[in-house]
Amino acid sequence: MIMVRKIVFFIFFFYLLVLTQTGFWVHFKMPGIIANFVLLAVIFINIFSSSGQNRILSALIGGFFLDVFSLGNAGFFGFYTLALAGFSLILRIISEKYVRFPVGG
Amino acid sequence: MEDGVYAKMNHMKINSRTKLRQNVKKIIVFSILLIVLFVVLNLTGFSKHVKNFFFLISSPVQKTFWQAGKSVSDFFSGIFEPATCKIELNSLYLEKEELLGRIAALAELAEENETLREALNLELEKEFQMMLVRLTSKDVFHDSILIDKGEREGISSGQPVITGQKVLVGKIGEVYENFSEVILISDKESSFDAKIIESEIYGIIKGEGNFKFYLDLIPKDEEISKGEAVVTSALTGVYPQGLLVGEIETIDKSDANPFQRAGITPFFNIKNLDYLFVITEF
Repeated sequence: MIMVRKIVFFIFFFYLLVLTQTGFWVHFKMPGIIANFVLLAVIFINIFSSSGQNRILSALIGGFFLDVFSLGNAGFFGFYTLALAGFSLILRIISEKYVRFPVGG
Repeated sequence: MEDGVYAKMNHMKINSRTKLRQNVKKIIVFSILLIVLFVVLNLTGFSKHVKNFFFLISSPVQKTFWQAGKSVSDFFSGIFEPATCKIELNSLYLEKEELLGRIAALAELAEENETLREALNLELEKEFQMMLVRLTSKDVFHDSILIDKGEREGISSGQPVITGQKVLVGKIGEVYENFSEVILISDKESSFDAKIIESEIYGIIKGEGNFKFYLDLIPKDEEISKGEAVVTSALTGVYPQGLLVGEIETIDKSDANPFQRAGITPFFNIKNLDYLFVITEF
């Protein structure tokens, strides 16, 4: 049940984010910066969330919406989904195997 | 006592290894399934239907966001850039005066042309067949936009897209059932032939991305100046001739290059684009 809730939340969250990104934020030019909020959100969740479920779900759903709404010589449909899922897994492996947080004083 | 603890620890280690192996297996199976799914979607062309479905359900919201973004950015640009506005206003006044002069000269020429046509009994050139479309959204990574007409309305890949003032915006790329992608002339993949109106110098327009493009392959001995307008030429037949492209902003004439190139400012502004025309026949 919690998993379903999470999926529904991420679907709404990333859908809204991708819609504002392609419709609203396009009008605000920041020199030299391409503001991709979906990508930023996925990276943010993957770095700061402790839940493995959140990480992979955000990568899959965010990547899927990037695939759907990306135009311009769109090559392989699924590229962003696979790339972000791969990124999420690599980050998980790195954090589980090589990152240790000091406990106590 | 210690043996018991070691045994427990060993047991936990084995458990965690088994779990890890199971997880790795799950991940591998899931990844393969995902890749297969996307390959099938791409090969069967079903991905186009998936995209079209999402465009269809999102189109009303996206149009609202587009309008809202336009209004908000206009509001803030008025607040944060008053100095720029003033300079722009002055240059617009000057431009207006210059254009009025040109209009007067062109009106005389048009009259002369009309008389000549009548005298030679020539038919007027066939007008373009155009379709009115509305902009829905813009891609973040590429210089591409989405319009609200597609295969169903008879749009096909390669058709030119212009504004109401006959300013070239780009050409149709991927066509979906109800929507089409427009590759802007500033896209990195875009290139076509064009000429400078006043001096009749031909060159190739190449996109740089981020709404920037330049006119390349201009012979070095030709004199070009800033502010000159560039239009499409009909050499390669990609676009009909005479569509406005932009005006020269910078000139790059270095000894290292055999040709000179000119940075072009587009005549269109993405913020002001709302309705566009697709030339279905030319």
